Amino acid sequence: MHAQIFLIGLNHRSAPLEIRERFALDRTAPSQLGLIQEQGPVRELLLLSTCNRVEILASGQAEAPCLQHLLEAWARQSGRSPEELRPHIYSYTGLEAVQHLFQVASSLDSMVLGEPQILGQLKDAYRLAVESETTGTVLNRLLHKAFSVAKRIRTETSISKNAVSISYAAVELAKEIFEDLTRQQVLLIGAGEMAELALEHLLSSGVSRILISNRTFSRARDLAGKFQGRAVAFEDLFEALPEADIVISSTGASETVIQARDMRPVIKKRKHKPMFFIDIAVPRDIDPDLNQLDSVYLYDIDDLKDVVEDNLAKRREESRLAMSIIDEAVDGFAKWLFALDLNPAIVDLLDFGQAVGRQELDKTLKKIDTRLEPKELEALQTMVASMVKKLYHPPITYCKTRARDRQEVHYYASLLRELFGLDRNEG
Amino acid sequence: MNWYQLLDLSAALLYFLGALFFLSSIPGTRHSLKLTSLLSTAGGFAIHSLNLGAKIAMDPLFTTSQAQFYVSLLAWMFIFLYLLLWWRLKLQFLGLTASSLAVILFCSSLTVSSASLQIPAKLSSLWFSLHIVTLFLSIGFLAMAFGAGLCYIYADKQIKKKARIGQFRKNIPALTSFDRVNHWAVSIGFPLFTIGVLSGFMWAGFTWGSIFSWDPKELFSVLVWILFAFLFHQRLALGWKGRKPALLAVWLFLFCLGSLLIINLFLPTHHSFRL
Repeated sequence: MHAQIFLIGLNHRSAPLEIRERFALDRTAPSQLGLIQEQGPVRELLLLSTCNRVEILASGQAEAPCLQHLLEAWARQSGRSPEELRPHIYSYTGLEAVQHLFQVASSLDSMVLGEPQILGQLKDAYRLAVESETTGTVLNRLLHKAFSVAKRIRTETSISKNAVSISYAAVELAKEIFEDLTRQQVLLIGAGEMAELALEHLLSSGVSRILISNRTFSRARDLAGKFQGRAVAFEDLFEALPEADIVISSTGASETVIQARDMRPVIKKRKHKPMFFIDIAVPRDIDPDLNQLDSVYLYDIDDLKDVVEDNLAKRREESRLAMSIIDEAVDGFAKWLFALDLNPAIVDLLDFGQAVGRQELDKTLKKIDTRLEPKELEALQTMVASMVKKLYHPPITYCKTRARDRQEVHYYASLLRELFGLDRNEG
Repeated sequence: MNWYQLLDLSAALLYFLGALFFLSSIPGTRHSLKLTSLLSTAGGFAIHSLNLGAKIAMDPLFTTSQAQFYVSLLAWMFIFLYLLLWWRLKLQFLGLTASSLAVILFCSSLTVSSASLQIPAKLSSLWFSLHIVTLFLSIGFLAMAFGAGLCYIYADKQIKKKARIGQFRKNIPALTSFDRVNHWAVSIGFPLFTIGVLSGFMWAGFTWGSIFSWDPKELFSVLVWILFAFLFHQRLALGWKGRKPALLAVWLFLFCLGSLLIINLFLPTHHSFRL
């Protein structure tokens, strides 16, 4: 029986905002799902829940219906039925799950490509899993690999600059519109990772007055506390709108939040004072026609990218480069994962060797019939043990490096057993 | 070539250099060019002031009856306002409109030097000075509103059509700066214009016995005044901002300049610069 990796989740593409909010697993420790039991098929578990995604990563017995268990536990935790959740999720098994996790970690799967927050969120999720003791050999290795892949992509490709350039463009444009940013009020609609990043850039350019509106009011209040702003109930959005000079929207709702026709009274109330809308959400939150209105400027993510760098070919090239880094890492991890299946044979081999060594040592000690000092005895035992290890090292490495897929692993495991007569001794 | 002509030429040359340096400083980031522009404009302004002062001191009656004097005075006021803005508000971008307009006006003042006004004897009256000074000042302010308005329309268009952010756009001020200057120039310019027009009618009343004589210039001034009043009202009473008032200010200035050049030079009017 060997270990397998499972992943189910939903993100901004697979599920609308309402579903994402309903099935969010904020502040849920992996142990709370009740999946890890003494005899259960799920061995290790990790939960990642952000504004735009929920990912449940597990390792367990390959033959068991682990995905089904994960889905049911998730629905139960949210107090909903699995049938409601099923159409909105994606699920991956084995190396596909590994690849997906690597993409998430390196922000290739984010709403805004290259946004830096996701890696920190994954690290927090991992810390929580470690604290609630739901990780083991497989997930520990997998997560560390994910972190190093993300780091490599950040340093070797310009993917991470993408997010920075978007917030940079937002600030540059704000400076072109407003003479004095310190006197402008910013309204955040929805609280995605990227919105926070853009807000931080604006804050460092002197903006200090902040309004935050979110469908879940508690989240708005949390953020308002963090940035010393004021939380606005989502229903009061249009009352707050005339006060806002810069609006950053990232709700990711499937329908448009602000329509061009809603703006007429707002513009009138503001007496045509310029307004700058930044629509970070995918799909868009704000009606594109807003940009046609007098003194209203609307930029979405693509516009922001274009004003600072319009080299699409280069961006594609960077994505390709990032994907090849991920593929390489998936291959490396696969090798390690498969080699895990060799472990029972290796353990048996070493146990067998150690047993033989001990037997022979006992025989010899009896023959020479001399009382040894405890120190001397210990030295002899250590010598025998390390001899065994050294002798078996070359065949073990030989098998480990050659076993590239599941079949080969199986072949080399039985080869080891046959060569050293392991199965005969077991009886 | 006498001393005055030499002064005229050197002032014109310095203004021209100022406009040229300013123009070449816009695409780059070099501040030395802007400073050179400021210095040569200021130098031109000093010579220009000296020239005007000397002429008035020498022969006030003759000087103030010359068309050249008034055109030159208008150019002088443009530069005066521009330098004032640079000094007080650190607004440099109006350099382009101010110095280039000054060059045009100044050069045209040299070409109309032969023209002399038929100004009646009560020339030095308070009303007449008031008429000239306030109107010229208000046209100066309107020129500022024009420059700021053009810049506003340009920047607005660039941001709307999502053009790439280049060095040039980074160097020009923000939309709201242009709007502020526009607002400011209109709020000061309109009262001055009103005083100018009223004092003109008063002077006409005292001098010619009738306030309004259906002169093309007078008709045109009333038309400009109505437009100006509309703009002033929208700006101050309704608090209009943005593109529409900017556009209106641009048209208003073009109107004024048109009236100044076309009516004064080509139409039969008692504001004529022709002999």
